Amino acid sequence: MMKIVGKNIDRLDGVDKVTGVGTFSTDLSAPGMLYGKILRSPHPHARIIKVDTSEAEKLPGVEAVIHRGNVPNNPFNTAAPMYTTVPYLKPVLDQWIFAEKARFVGDEVAAVAAVSEKIAEAACKLIKVEYEVLPAVFGIKEAMAADAPEIHDPRITPEGKNVVAEIIRIPPGLPGDALDKAFEDADIIIEEEFKTNVQKQCQMENMAALAITKPDGSITVHSTTQTPHPTKAILAKVFGVPASKIRVTNPPYVGGGFGSRIGLSGKAEVVAIALSMATRKPVKVVYTRKEDFMATDTRHASIVNVKLGAKKDGTFVALDLKGYTNTGAYCTFGAELPGVLGAMTLAIYRIPAIRYYGHSVYTNCTPGGAMRGFGNPQGNFALERVVDMMAEKLGMDAKELREKNISRAGDPWFLPYPCSSSELAECIKQCARSIGWERRGKLNNGSGHIRRGLGIAVGTHVSNAWPFCVDYDNAYVAVQSDGSVNLSVGCCDMGTGISTSLPQICAEAMGLKWEDITFTFADTASTPFTIGNHASRGAYAQGTAVKAAADDVKKQLLGYAAGLFKVSPEALIIEDSIIKPVGAEGKGVTVVDPMTLPGAIEEAAAAPVPPPQDHEIVKPVHTQGPQKGISLEGLAYYAHIRNKQFIGVGKTIPPNAPPWHCCAAEVEVDTELGTVQVVKMAAAHDVGTVINPLIVEGQIEGGVVQGIGYALSEEILYQPNGQQAHTSFSAYMLPTAEDIPEIDTFIVEGSDPSGPFGAKGAGECGLVCPASAIANAVANALGAKVNELPMTAERVYALIHG
Amino acid sequence: MMKKITVNFTLNGKAIEVFCEPDKMLVDVLREELALTGTKIGCREGECGACTVILNGDAVNSCLIPAAKVVGKEIQTIEGVADNGRLHPIQTAFIEKGAVQCGFCTPGVIMSAKALLDKNKSPNSDEIREAIGGNVCRCTGYVKIENAIKHAARILSEISVTGGGK
Amino acid sequence: MWQEYLFPENINDAVSILSGSDGLARIIAGGTDLMLDIEGGRHVVEKLVDLSRIRELDQITEENGIIRIGANVTCTQVVNSELIQKKAPALSQGARRLGSKQIRNIATIAGNVIRAQPAADTAVPLVALGAKLEVVSADGTRTMEILDTYTESFAKSKIDSTSEVVTFLHVPAQGTLEGSAYVRLDKRRALSLPILNVACKISLAGDTIKSASIAIGPVGPGPRRAFDAENKLVGSDISPESIQSAAQLVINQCDPRNSLVRGSRKYRMAVINKLAERAIMQAVACAKA
Repeated sequence: MMKIVGKNIDRLDGVDKVTGVGTFSTDLSAPGMLYGKILRSPHPHARIIKVDTSEAEKLPGVEAVIHRGNVPNNPFNTAAPMYTTVPYLKPVLDQWIFAEKARFVGDEVAAVAAVSEKIAEAACKLIKVEYEVLPAVFGIKEAMAADAPEIHDPRITPEGKNVVAEIIRIPPGLPGDALDKAFEDADIIIEEEFKTNVQKQCQMENMAALAITKPDGSITVHSTTQTPHPTKAILAKVFGVPASKIRVTNPPYVGGGFGSRIGLSGKAEVVAIALSMATRKPVKVVYTRKEDFMATDTRHASIVNVKLGAKKDGTFVALDLKGYTNTGAYCTFGAELPGVLGAMTLAIYRIPAIRYYGHSVYTNCTPGGAMRGFGNPQGNFALERVVDMMAEKLGMDAKELREKNISRAGDPWFLPYPCSSSELAECIKQCARSIGWERRGKLNNGSGHIRRGLGIAVGTHVSNAWPFCVDYDNAYVAVQSDGSVNLSVGCCDMGTGISTSLPQICAEAMGLKWEDITFTFADTASTPFTIGNHASRGAYAQGTAVKAAADDVKKQLLGYAAGLFKVSPEALIIEDSIIKPVGAEGKGVTVVDPMTLPGAIEEAAAAPVPPPQDHEIVKPVHTQGPQKGISLEGLAYYAHIRNKQFIGVGKTIPPNAPPWHCCAAEVEVDTELGTVQVVKMAAAHDVGTVINPLIVEGQIEGGVVQGIGYALSEEILYQPNGQQAHTSFSAYMLPTAEDIPEIDTFIVEGSDPSGPFGAKGAGECGLVCPASAIANAVANALGAKVNELPMTAERVYALIHG
Repeated sequence: MMKKITVNFTLNGKAIEVFCEPDKMLVDVLREELALTGTKIGCREGECGACTVILNGDAVNSCLIPAAKVVGKEIQTIEGVADNGRLHPIQTAFIEKGAVQCGFCTPGVIMSAKALLDKNKSPNSDEIREAIGGNVCRCTGYVKIENAIKHAARILSEISVTGGGK
Repeated sequence: MWQEYLFPENINDAVSILSGSDGLARIIAGGTDLMLDIEGGRHVVEKLVDLSRIRELDQITEENGIIRIGANVTCTQVVNSELIQKKAPALSQGARRLGSKQIRNIATIAGNVIRAQPAADTAVPLVALGAKLEVVSADGTRTMEILDTYTESFAKSKIDSTSEVVTFLHVPAQGTLEGSAYVRLDKRRALSLPILNVACKISLAGDTIKSASIAIGPVGPGPRRAFDAENKLVGSDISPESIQSAAQLVINQCDPRNSLVRGSRKYRMAVINKLAERAIMQAVACAKA
């Protein structure tokens, strides 16, 4: 019976956040601090011929102006894969603090440090830049065309012009003819092309970094990164300084992430450090919301081709998938993301013959990077639409067709980790019941301008980054001499609740009272390495390390206590921070001073010194029972004054595990205007054992609402001149509280053999299926082909009226 | 350099005087002059609500209000919501009902919720959604925020029945 | 940015500050648009003149069938006003949809008109309702028809806030057998500018439409009246068919731009009649209620 895991323990960061006391990077200041501002390119593609900073330097209050000519020019990648790329891929280093060419509108050209933000901004306007404007390209197909301009040096694109990094093939290697043969066995084949547009993370806190360089060469950066440790490693390479000189830390809160700052926070850290080096003063860089829209990673726009073959009875026999993602001006995650798109889409169903081919494409758009779901929503939308089309062609119910074909726990599959658990079938049941699936096809009588529809979609995701990136994790647990327990993990809590769930795992594994635990995180100076918080890996991957560290230290504690009790360690347990005999679970024990236990008496008697004294430091714990116990504080202090401490180390290589999820949607389409109203969403998730139900529900609900935005209204489009058309919250339509439908959330608890207490990843899967389910519902309402996201009123109107 | 001006107003129940540039916005006076960084900046365009404070009883975006405009007015910020370290029922409800994730929008949402509940003791869902429609939250999907505000309303009405609290 | 922030105690003082400042003093109402305009470099301002201490401008009153709305009246005041809910429902509905609660709590109706955006949520209904503006300058007081305050330039008013002050809006109160309504097409329900909006005021004689006024936006530099549709409605019955055929004509006065944010001209031209139809139907329903 678990006491802490599975409980809605109040978040440890709750009080800080509801009182406004909690600090974020944007809130920080330092003595003598200057403000940094960035000059950005107005052109989508232009060679920078000359940067004249003389007028800007003359403006009173300006302390430094930096540009390509006076900063280090080491190539790097703002994304964490610069330091977490797996052995069989090569990291793409295609970025510089300031590049010799601007490759999108908003690309960094120069920066200023001044005594105020306003002066820095004014100085940026005084910098004169001479550009040689080059032809630009914005679309995936256009960038792959023979006449497209080349955006990067061919050494960076060995697979072909504007093709980013390696082409991903699943299975690896050149294709054989097995797939074509499998299609020959299919009774029905459906082949379709799908398009998705750019979504933006829109984390509420803009990119921010405060860099403090000191005369001894040390650099401390407080920033919004989701990955302090890899970021530290990247920064050392950018500036060519020893990594030992750099400390990266969150302050400790980060106002959302959703993938936008895996690695660097845009270029906030590098510009802040470069300006701080130039001025020898602390420099803070905070992006504006417009800069966030223009110049920080977005979700990749995509083109996905699906060819699915099935037998008449609905059995899927072959799937051929192609994915092309628009990575914009720089690679960032452009190498890994097409892999996740393919793998997660292929993994949903048991299909004997599968093939995937995919890669990213450079264009002169804002870089595409990581956003919650990481390629999976794009692929999921395409395949789940085709599954609905297949159901229609087969005359089968779309839900039953899925139930017939979904992957099941224990199924052999192509991924290098097992399909270790799945409650997807139950998730489908819950969603279907909640949405009233039996009403499907009976919602419209053909009159009026409102058409109703129901849709369902299923999917999976990852619980960590392997095999797409390096993935292992570490944790320390120290039982302090005062009996408090300090857990230390290098994670970032950007809102996902990991700074509560990891202590929950630790406290549960050790048998602690909740108030005994303290948590150190998000600081490279005081925590062990972790690749950071992304890939839904916090509770799962960091959780396994925490569990291992907790088990390790518990073993040490019980081993030591066993000597005092004169029993074997297996005969003792820890419950509510009391060490007591097995069998006393849930029962009171008489808590005694460890000094009074037989082992202690024996030891004292054997020692050639006077008998031990009671220091009266540890307060007695008043619980009574037939058996004896000792408090953790008592034991820790007893050990401490005998020069002994307990520190547990967890070093784990979690294999990865699939979470599963189903989403169902009911929509109303106004056929006169093309508007889509989501009436209800149901989402059911198998994320293994749930560490904290409220936190997991929050992840699902947040994901569903982001999914509604992705489905209906969120996109960044480009003007013909390369300007982003959506660079503010008034243009970019993410849902507000007035826009959300009824949302029914179900946690279908399973247990995964590899996760801590059976947990799997929960961070991203909320956002994978909603848009697919809504698209299927719209298609159901209209009997139309829905092949593009988002389904804006204008696009839906065109579907209806041509 | 611009000539500074003196702005007098009531902040969280106390009369204060700020000496600042005449074109400073309220949010910057709060965050920079008064070091009250609980009021956040998400967009500076009145489109996200992270900077919401209460001005004479109404929720407003402090990023769009010149500090000079609040002369003689009463301003409440997130720092003034708890009573001598005792959390306000809205704050407690936000923690208990899971309405807090990254926490960046939270102060603004709480101020909008407080402005609502100060005037309307038992708001329905539509009224709650209207009150927080100008507070963008990217983490929660708003479900638990709405629950928390409803829960706080219940707690507050119990307090007023039993005569406790403020 | 401004160096002085002033609170005149009366309208005369406000006007004299403006006239003594060579165009570098400007009226600030709620300021929700003005602050962004100044930040964006749209205006150069040395003095801001805040009317909030002129208490007579805070009121919504009715005299002789005319609702007088002071220049300090906020959208929230309008939304909460029973008088406006009852006698100018289209304005109440429009004010409710402007921005967000925080914006509505401070943004004024007068400011929304002077900012001259073609799809302003309160200006479009005010155009349909036939509102007038009372404007005070050094030359005295004059009254302008709301539609006459717009120019042929996008979002530009004839009212110059560096030399004159709008003090009141006059809105004809809705009588018996009169009704008004406001509808908008948008991408979300809060914090969004309309893709299209339509306000309509109708008066009935039995089941015949006696008069009709339809305002539409954003289909030109400012809000527009759909005169052809109005003319077709006058004298017609209130059947869906008649309303539908009149609503077809709103496109005659529509010239929307292509916008990646709000939608293409083609789409907006295709659906504006449906939106107008709904506004007319709702106004008729309101008149019959």
